[in-house]
Amino acid sequence: MARPAFYDLNVCSVPEGNDTVEKIASLAKHFGFRGIAITNPFGSCEPERPAMFDDLEIFSGIELEVNKASRLHGLIGKYRKMVDVIVVHGGSESINRAAVENSNVDILSNFGSMKDNGINHILARSAHDNNVALSFDLGEIICQRGGRRVRALSNFRKDLKLIRKYDVPFVLTANARCCYDMRAPRELIALAGLFGMTREEAIKGISSIPESIIKNNRPSDRYVFEGVEIVTTPQDCLFNGGEEK
Amino acid sequence: MKIVPPTMREKKRYLAFELIAEEQVSRDELIREIFSASGGLLGDLGSSECNIWLLAFEDHKGVVSCNRDYVSRTRAALSTITSVKGKRVTFHILGVSGTVLGATKKYLEGVDVFNPEEQSHINE
Repeated sequence: MARPAFYDLNVCSVPEGNDTVEKIASLAKHFGFRGIAITNPFGSCEPERPAMFDDLEIFSGIELEVNKASRLHGLIGKYRKMVDVIVVHGGSESINRAAVENSNVDILSNFGSMKDNGINHILARSAHDNNVALSFDLGEIICQRGGRRVRALSNFRKDLKLIRKYDVPFVLTANARCCYDMRAPRELIALAGLFGMTREEAIKGISSIPESIIKNNRPSDRYVFEGVEIVTTPQDCLFNGGEEK
Repeated sequence: MKIVPPTMREKKRYLAFELIAEEQVSRDELIREIFSASGGLLGDLGSSECNIWLLAFEDHKGVVSCNRDYVSRTRAALSTITSVKGKRVTFHILGVSGTVLGATKKYLEGVDVFNPEEQSHINE
């Protein structure tokens, strides 16, 4: 079987985290990731520019954390054109709802709390309709101990049940704040296994789903500038013997 | 005591790993941390099933043995190690093998442990 390309779409660098992008990127490459997205919270700094670091792709991203849902939509509109990945830091019910109902959002993270798992069948269905991925923040299993970790694991179990039933996209992330928080893809798969996720599902969550998120947000090869795109007409294909694509 | 025949022995897997750490970590400190992590995540019952054991640890590279049927659980338990005696570390499993020799030869010989501090300077 060909080795799939792995991605972690929720990593923080300086000034929010502790380590520079170079340091994180070199470690991510060592762990076998194909790409990472630097998602610093908005307001702390300008979003990181997309770059290539040896073979590792760095995607630009932003994490939006607000306390009022009405503010969220404005911010999403502002950043949608600037970054590859928009992550919404959930928490309260209104924020979670606003995020899954906006198809411009890519990932909803940290939506669970100590009290409940943050999503229900209605939110799961609209996440499916709007193609908003729910993220399993495995950092909670890695860093927390005791009661909080128990809560996180049981929340993830409930989320997984809804995700399977409503076919919601999901991603796995270590939610790293420094380079020592990062984990290799196989470790993420093993951690996901703790709450009942199968190996195939977990691989999907760190390879094909993040890939499709990036692909949807990046302009295609035929893109020229805003509103203009190269369209191949059937006649062109005939003239060139169908070589041009 | 007479040695148990091969078919009756516990089937094991050997995980070759590197420890990416801020500072030097000693074997005893790591052992304590491994057992506390597996005790915390899997509990006494789960730890007894996994049977995690640190065989060798030198130069931040080593081999951990575990029960064959619980490799993934062992991996999860080991990846919850975040610090050893206050020094931040990351446990990175390089590969799994059926023999100690295989694990050492295939994954550990001649491998330099990754050091984030050095790496980032080279690439700058």
